[in-house]
Amino acid sequence: MKFLGFSLLALLLLSVESVLVKTFGFEVTRIDVGLALVVYAALRCTTIEGACSAFSVGYLLDVFTGRPTGLYPALAVLVFLLARGAGVVVDTRSRGPYALLVAIATLGHALLAVFFSWLTSAAGSGHVFSLSGVPLQTLLTTLAGLAMWPLLKTIEPGERPEPGLLR
Amino acid sequence: MFSFLRRYRELLIVGTLLLAPLISYLSTGHRGREPNFVDRAVLFISAPVQSVLTSTIGALSGVGSGYVALRGAHEEASVCRTGLAEAQAEVNSLKEAEAENARLKALLSYVEDSVDPKIVARVIGLNPSAQLQSIHINRGEDDGVRLGMPVVTAEGAVGQVIRSVGGTADVMLLTDPQSHIGGVIQRTRVRVTVTGTGGGRPLSLDLVRREDDARDGDIVVTAGSDGIFPRGVRLGIVRTPERPTVGMFLKATLEASVELNRLEEVLVIPVTMAMPSVPLKGAR
Repeated sequence: MKFLGFSLLALLLLSVESVLVKTFGFEVTRIDVGLALVVYAALRCTTIEGACSAFSVGYLLDVFTGRPTGLYPALAVLVFLLARGAGVVVDTRSRGPYALLVAIATLGHALLAVFFSWLTSAAGSGHVFSLSGVPLQTLLTTLAGLAMWPLLKTIEPGERPEPGLLR
Repeated sequence: MFSFLRRYRELLIVGTLLLAPLISYLSTGHRGREPNFVDRAVLFISAPVQSVLTSTIGALSGVGSGYVALRGAHEEASVCRTGLAEAQAEVNSLKEAEAENARLKALLSYVEDSVDPKIVARVIGLNPSAQLQSIHINRGEDDGVRLGMPVVTAEGAVGQVIRSVGGTADVMLLTDPQSHIGGVIQRTRVRVTVTGTGGGRPLSLDLVRREDDARDGDIVVTAGSDGIFPRGVRLGIVRTPERPTVGMFLKATLEASVELNRLEEVLVIPVTMAMPSVPLKGAR
């Protein structure tokens, strides 16, 4: 059920984002609203529920790119696992640490996406994957994550059952 | 066997969710897959949302810009009158050139290629991933848009259709790093390849020999030899050509004719040539 909730929310947010990005002319950067969902799922859902939600969010992003390759579902699940690992050692029950984790996840996601794009690009054509938009992308995604916090709490208000090491 | 599956259920599910798409990506690279049922369903659901949002935002900004436009309309009208006079002079000059062109074509028994009516489409969204430069348009398979068709505006080339599903399609922009278009410098007829370099940066002018004549301000149009664009569609203007001390090729950037991050409407050219399943490299 939560998986469905995350998927529908991701679909709505990506649809809105694609229009807003066009309207405001973000030529260099984007807002990874999906990642805010993935991080939240990592902190609040069970492993299988969260992994399925992360996969779903990544799959939708993949479809929205116009050239679905499978990269984004894999990266979303990877970010989910890393965020879940981070959630064990950091108290992420409040908004601030969650935002910090979203920022780190966005940075990591962007770097991994660029790395894999470079890895699979054909010789002579893959020399230009810019990282210049990543700082702005991180900032905007973090702000989006903060704005979405109340909405996300309506999908999964509970805390994770197992406490983190520093809690 | 079942106890093993039950015991490692989480690990197996998460591992599959992680590795299956990753292996698929590494094996197919950036070519992408054909749209499946789920993809079609997602696009079918999202397209109306995008269309409604685009229309709403367009209407709201129209009201706002209408008010702003009234301020300073007098000065603007004066500038327009001057511009109109200049344009009229240019039109007269172009009419002369057109007449001359018609005479020369007749002399050469030139037969104009028949061009199918273009499909007018509205841009309803931008791809949310920064790694790929593409737009989403409100015309698709149902309207005759097919994979590989070129997309243009009145100002010049925009890109190429990379996916067409139902009533929507995705267009890879010229700025995408995987875009390679065969072009020609209008003044000197030197052949070039125009390559995307990612969002926010000018296009790259590749494979121009250092001894070739290319100057700042030269106009580049499509060569029509790459199987994608018809001949003569404007691509952009050459900027900052440099001849490095070593190497065979000239280094230059190309300022795109079309402001690709501000697209509203585009035209899809329904060419009838064999459609490539993957983006083609520019011909040279």
